[in-house]
Amino acid sequence: MNPHRRSPFVIVMTALVFFFLYAPIFVLMLYSFNTSRTNVTFEGFITAFGPLQMQGSLVVQSPCGPFHWFCDLTRNQEVMTAARNTLTIAFVSTIVSTIIGTMAAIALQRHDFKIKPFAQLSLYIPIIIPEIVMGIGILTLFSQVFTWVNTAFNLPPDLRLTLGMGTVIVSHIAFSVPFVTLVVQARLQGFDKSYEEAAMDLGANELVTFWRVTLPMLLPGVLSGALLAFTLSLDDFVITFFTTGPGATTLPIYVYGLLRRIITPQVNALSTVWILIVLAAVFLLQRMENRETA
Amino acid sequence: MKRLHTLLSLLVLAGWLLAACGGGAAGGGEQKELVTSSGFVCPLPDTKLEVTSKQLNLFVWTEYIPSEWKECFTLVYGIKVNHDEYSSNEEMYAKLSAGGSNYDLVQPTDYIVSLMVKQGLIQKLDKSRLQVVLANMDPNYMGLEFDPNNDYTLPYQAGTDALIYNADTVQNPPKKWADLWNPEYAGRMVFLDDSRVIIGMTLIMLGYDPNTTDPAQLDEAKTRLAELIPNVKLFDSDSPKTALIAGDVDLGITWTGEAFTANQEVPSITYVYPEEGAILWQDNWAIVSNAPNLDAAYAWLNYTMQPNLFWLMLRDFPYINPNKGALEFAKTNQPDLYDLYMASPITNPPQEAIDKGHRIKDVGEALPLYDQIWTEVKGGE
Amino acid sequence: MLQRLREDKSLQGLLLIAPTLLWMIVLLIIPLILTLVVSFGRRSPEGEVIFTFTLDNYIRLLGLQPDCLNPFACFDPLYVSILFRSLSLAFNTTVIVILLAYPLAYFIARAPRKQRNTFLFLVLVPLWTNFVIRVYAWMMLLRTQGAINGVLGWLASLFGIPFTPLEMLYTPGAVLTGMVYEFLPFMILPIYTSLEKIDPALYEAAADLGANALKTFWRITLPLSMPGVVAGTILVFIPVMGTFVVSDLLGGKQVILVGNLIQRQFLDARDPTFGSAASLVLMVMTLIVTLFYTRKFGFGKELVVG
Repeated sequence: MNPHRRSPFVIVMTALVFFFLYAPIFVLMLYSFNTSRTNVTFEGFITAFGPLQMQGSLVVQSPCGPFHWFCDLTRNQEVMTAARNTLTIAFVSTIVSTIIGTMAAIALQRHDFKIKPFAQLSLYIPIIIPEIVMGIGILTLFSQVFTWVNTAFNLPPDLRLTLGMGTVIVSHIAFSVPFVTLVVQARLQGFDKSYEEAAMDLGANELVTFWRVTLPMLLPGVLSGALLAFTLSLDDFVITFFTTGPGATTLPIYVYGLLRRIITPQVNALSTVWILIVLAAVFLLQRMENRETA
Repeated sequence: MKRLHTLLSLLVLAGWLLAACGGGAAGGGEQKELVTSSGFVCPLPDTKLEVTSKQLNLFVWTEYIPSEWKECFTLVYGIKVNHDEYSSNEEMYAKLSAGGSNYDLVQPTDYIVSLMVKQGLIQKLDKSRLQVVLANMDPNYMGLEFDPNNDYTLPYQAGTDALIYNADTVQNPPKKWADLWNPEYAGRMVFLDDSRVIIGMTLIMLGYDPNTTDPAQLDEAKTRLAELIPNVKLFDSDSPKTALIAGDVDLGITWTGEAFTANQEVPSITYVYPEEGAILWQDNWAIVSNAPNLDAAYAWLNYTMQPNLFWLMLRDFPYINPNKGALEFAKTNQPDLYDLYMASPITNPPQEAIDKGHRIKDVGEALPLYDQIWTEVKGGE
Repeated sequence: MLQRLREDKSLQGLLLIAPTLLWMIVLLIIPLILTLVVSFGRRSPEGEVIFTFTLDNYIRLLGLQPDCLNPFACFDPLYVSILFRSLSLAFNTTVIVILLAYPLAYFIARAPRKQRNTFLFLVLVPLWTNFVIRVYAWMMLLRTQGAINGVLGWLASLFGIPFTPLEMLYTPGAVLTGMVYEFLPFMILPIYTSLEKIDPALYEAAADLGANALKTFWRITLPLSMPGVVAGTILVFIPVMGTFVVSDLLGGKQVILVGNLIQRQFLDARDPTFGSAASLVLMVMTLIVTLFYTRKFGFGKELVVG
């Protein structure tokens, strides 16, 4: 049927590329069992439970044995807070950007209005703008607005507008929306309108048609866009750095700061946990999807 | 069956994480003693201040505050401590000067203090609320040029930037800045990625002021530096000790904390103060203008600068300690740490090194000049 | 009013796009205009912006001196060469990424439907670890005492061959490897999407007409997958131009790229006017490359997955 299917070249390349993609991840996870505290080279597996002799004449009590760094991690309040913040920001910004992005995609694909070219063009900006420019630009904007509002209304310290979770979420939505819109637009482009027309012929009004026919067919595109938005938000550093405030640290910022100073295997332990959770979620989703299609 | 298996593993993982989230500072409650999660007994505050704020917002260097301080402060005063970090003074400055931030305390290094004062980013200290703290300070670190009356800053930790080498792999160790130009060292050095420090050390090597604005002197420095830069294997202002310990490089330039840690890890790594004079620096506490939780800030300063708390810096972060009260405390209560601190020329530099040292200062209008030089010497392929 | 809303499609469209437009204008367009205005300003001694109109920053970028009349005599290629260096890195990265991504995307597109999503997620999983951590992982691999040298040394000892560790870290090769690694998934997904859309009937028709594997690929598969390649190129080329983390960590900060230059201006040099000018030039350059590319190969919005 397809002459390329069993091409050995393709299979070998695929295996190599997957190996290339995962080798660093494997090394990352391996080092989370490192006995060396400075984590520069892999000194060996932590094997014992109980008192643990580490490199550099540092003796550590380790009831967790090989999982020493994981236990260390759980005692780290900051990481937990950062993780919570990161997830909150990612979820909220994804939901909002998916909703308004989908709306925008529909508007651009199916409606005609005067400022349409301008709107379409403006959506390309976050893709070509350097992150640091966007970050600093947004920071300047927020600062000017907040300072003005705080002084004009003479707000007490509790009610003052400041940088924090709110500003981070708003910024994340800004860079996510264009991606969602583009993805949904692409989906809409190849859309077969006959289903919608059939529904309308059968007497459904526009709203019902949208809800029961259009949206379900659009869903893969919407979900792809949401996934993209979620990924972008999870990993963002530069923009978050400039728009965050006290108590709103995210994981990428915390890790980046940590990596630049003291690089203990704690960071590796964190990555390992993160990867395992993601992999578990992936397989769970696969199981659920297979059950559905079966 | 498989689905159940996956679901179970996910639940176990989630549960473990949640349990971890629940963990925190143990102790407190009915007991008279306040104990942190690591088992450290929190001392009571010598001067307990009246605090109405509900939280404290710190903006500090990465990994520069013992975790026990935050826990103890929260246990004693019941205030939540928020803690954001930065990795360079410039990051901190950019954030603060843009406005809109809500921080109470920051830790500027000496050279940026005057700029922050000029821009109105930090406020004058109310010394009446810091009597005990000031009394604990070593006068050698007070009244320095960047803040002559300590109107705005309190010394936190001091340090040096100097030469470092691995005695095992470097046959001909460097003794002065000029030695770095030795062709033997090509491809084996790590430098700080700091234009002021590197251009500064070149100027010092030539016998000039590292804060000069004289274009002729800067030009000469640029020429000499252009010869040197290709010999540098890497620039790292975050963790230069890593490359040294890993053996990727054999020598270079680094600062106090890095040198001490590297030496602990690999005893043959040696820190040496160059003959022309090392670079001295000092990190300080400063209170941000319009700090929302001012009383909490003063309470923090008074509490953490107490000798029976500040000594933790000796344990965690090996720098030069300007808090003589804390050193006294360590002498009697933590003699091992104290001896280690005093014995090392890294944390306890000889007076001669301090006398010969130079400080980096803000150069105002000339800053783009320095940056241009840096871009040019690094930009050449 | 509601009646009008029901009938006027244009108004509906406007309302639908209103929230997004609001976000774009406030958070992107206004900051961009701000950047433009600042780029024409002058730097104050404290590193603040003096709002005036001068082209000095742009002149400096192009390597000319404002008071020099003969541009050929006093041309300083410093910033232009930085720009070129970034362009060539972006170009090299993109080419290698395409070469690596294509077979993989092809494999997934031809895999049984049930397996496809699993493979795609496996491609995405590395993206969900932290960007910086992934770069850091490469440092652990490439170090003198790192994993790769460790494995090679062990193999060498098995065969009794003397082995000096390879110096891989802090070289341009390391930077290229890191860049390729970071952006590979962004090329795999769009190419996969466009390959997946190809009607299998086309292959059957080609086989019926006697075309061999190579010819089928060249005349059917490749052209039809071009929109995906184009989309992937945009998703790779542009970020590479602006990234500084990879070259910092893996290249030992030896080389200054455009991203480093801009970051330095806003932080270390405290010269937002010059930084803004550099940012705008970067944006214009990427815009030109993007427009040229999409015009030539046609823009396919092949970002949809599944």
